[in-house]
Amino acid sequence: MASVTLKGVKKIYDNKVVAVHDFNLQIKDKEFVVFVGPSGCGKSTTLRMIAGLEDISEGTLRIGDRVVNDVEPKDRDIAMVFQNYALYPHISVYENMAFPLRIRKMNNEEIHRRVCQAAEILGITEYLTRKPKALSGGQRQRVAIGRAIVREPAVFLMDEPLSNLDAKLRNQMRAEIILLRKRLDTTFIYVTHDQTEAMTLGDRIVIMKDGFIQQVGTPQEVFDTPKNLFVAGFIGAPQMNFIPARLNAQNGYTVDVLGTRVELTGAKAQILGRKNIQSQDVLLGVRPEHTTVCFDKNEGAIESTILVNEMMGSELHLHVTTDGKNKIILRLPTIDLTDAQRASLVSGNKLYFTFASKVVHLFDPKTEESLLFEEIKTKA
Amino acid sequence: MAKKNNIPEVDIVVDEAAGVIREVKTDTHLRSKKGHERRVNATIYTILIIMSIIWLCPFVFLVLQSFRGESGGQVAYVIPKQWTLDNYKFLFEGVRVGFGMLIKDTTAIVLTALINVAGVLGIVGCLLRKPKNMLEKSSGNIKAALLVFGAMTLLNFIRAVDSTNCDFVRWFMNTLTIALFCAVIQTIMVLSVSYTLSRMRFKGRKLIMNVVLVLGMFPGFLTMIVLYYLLKTLGLTQAGAIPGLILISCASSGMGYYISKGFFDTIPKSLDESARIDGATRFQVFLKIIMPMAKPIVIYTILMAFMGPWGDYVFASYVAFGHKASYNVAVGLYRWVNTNDYQGYFTKFCAGGVLVAIPITALFMALQKYYVEGVTGGAVKG
Repeated sequence: MASVTLKGVKKIYDNKVVAVHDFNLQIKDKEFVVFVGPSGCGKSTTLRMIAGLEDISEGTLRIGDRVVNDVEPKDRDIAMVFQNYALYPHISVYENMAFPLRIRKMNNEEIHRRVCQAAEILGITEYLTRKPKALSGGQRQRVAIGRAIVREPAVFLMDEPLSNLDAKLRNQMRAEIILLRKRLDTTFIYVTHDQTEAMTLGDRIVIMKDGFIQQVGTPQEVFDTPKNLFVAGFIGAPQMNFIPARLNAQNGYTVDVLGTRVELTGAKAQILGRKNIQSQDVLLGVRPEHTTVCFDKNEGAIESTILVNEMMGSELHLHVTTDGKNKIILRLPTIDLTDAQRASLVSGNKLYFTFASKVVHLFDPKTEESLLFEEIKTKA
Repeated sequence: MAKKNNIPEVDIVVDEAAGVIREVKTDTHLRSKKGHERRVNATIYTILIIMSIIWLCPFVFLVLQSFRGESGGQVAYVIPKQWTLDNYKFLFEGVRVGFGMLIKDTTAIVLTALINVAGVLGIVGCLLRKPKNMLEKSSGNIKAALLVFGAMTLLNFIRAVDSTNCDFVRWFMNTLTIALFCAVIQTIMVLSVSYTLSRMRFKGRKLIMNVVLVLGMFPGFLTMIVLYYLLKTLGLTQAGAIPGLILISCASSGMGYYISKGFFDTIPKSLDESARIDGATRFQVFLKIIMPMAKPIVIYTILMAFMGPWGDYVFASYVAFGHKASYNVAVGLYRWVNTNDYQGYFTKFCAGGVLVAIPITALFMALQKYYVEGVTGGAVKG
């Protein structure tokens, strides 16, 4: 059990490439933090610095109260699960899991107890005598997790542990990790490039890009109030739609977008007022799930042409365009559709949609920062 | 050869009379292609068989000559007219095996006793060893005990051979000593250097690798004269030739890192990292994780390190120059036919050659699988 504190942590490689810039984060005891971002954003490097596999170029790293910048990985009281499992192929599953304990010269009875217990938790008791080669991907990942939990470490590090599994198994293992986390109740740091994993697993999400932290917050926070264009686009699937628009600051706030005018009221208008935002060009962001499709031309509805119709089962993803340039994704639940309506949803047909003003996001096209984001929110 | 079109197009024909469905190959073009392939293969195999016969000839000749009863050097026929084992008997003349000679030598008695006691203790220990956990099989104990027994027997045998009166056995023992020492020391050196170069990142690493690679391209004989004088200063020539030769072989052994480094490079780095997080030191990672996985390359390295001095003639001949007791087999046998009575010694020379070839052949046959794995495994990523 321990907190992890990163203060001004920086990673500069020998060729002067800066992989991580000034990383500041306080991870509380027993917290589940997810680092998420596209490949090359520095999330794995940061994790490897916490593990001690990479040197820290600048800044301090504390685990608990101890500064561990120069402490060997084995003395940091951490365990790590790797993307490619990193099981020792020449020894049995049992010995794989017992390895960290044997290295620590624990007595045999205790080793046996812990290994059996971990195997029980993960449901791999019957495979203990096998070699890793004889296991499937999911089972191997379980062994790798088992090898980490027998140690009872203060901090658990996971580096894209589910990336090598197929989609179905990944969902299943994701649920198991949530259960495991409840059971172990210790600090977790989890790296992934998959925003779904990040959203479902994390107490807090750290979104990174090009070595910089973009935003830190709970899944709800980063979904509702993304700090910038990148976060807004990264979190949520399908991706948020961005449409060029004009913000007017006369007589309250209104946005002219795609030939209609959206009035901003309530909290959003207050924030804009507090930040004293003037009339300007903006990028309006709206999530596909926040759009409403209508088949007839209502007042205020935006006309568009269907480009692609993706059938997802319970819902349709409709790629539409208003003028040939803006591509917008709409999400339409299939449950209430009539057959005629379904038949009309083909490429080239006209379609109308609306969205409510309370779900829109506004971004400055130059700075890419959100106009509706206030720092206070994340610190609550 | 890559097989092309190994799935021939077929027509399914229902043979009503037989009541079965038959597959009938219809594509005559494919059939002729197959015939062509067969002809090519036949040619290739014929050439290979002829080559292997040519290649085997000298060895067969050597073996046949070693059993020849008639005296004389080269003869105009291959099959001996008179078969005999005398040539082999000659090699072992004067050697005594047994405890008769050991009783004269107190240190030898003490040593033999120690080996025996340690061996027995080792065997008992192995058999009584408690398995680490219920999953470990006890057959491992028996294997370990057999290994200890084998080692003990070998040590006793070596102690019991008195080679002072028999040139051939002495040379053979000299060669064996040099080769065994080299096999152990050189393997340790090569593997640790390769692992270091594969895993650690330090200043000058690339430079060292390149310099060593270029140095390795010069033939070792270039250093002969220098080495001789260096060894002479250290007193490691003539009478001290055996440690001298071990030193020569081992000193530069780290330079042979290339193949095993290639092999280590193929082992994922995350295994090292995982083991380090699990609490292992670098050395423990090397010993407990990497070594067991690198079995083929370990065996390959041992074989190579053993074979070098085993067949060495050039270095051995000038380091031991003129000191008969320090010769290795190659030098000793060559002296027989070169400086002594060629006519009389030729068949004995052949018998010695056969005996030298036997251990190395056996070793190769036993470890062939690993050898191939080691060479190709290392070649995947050079």
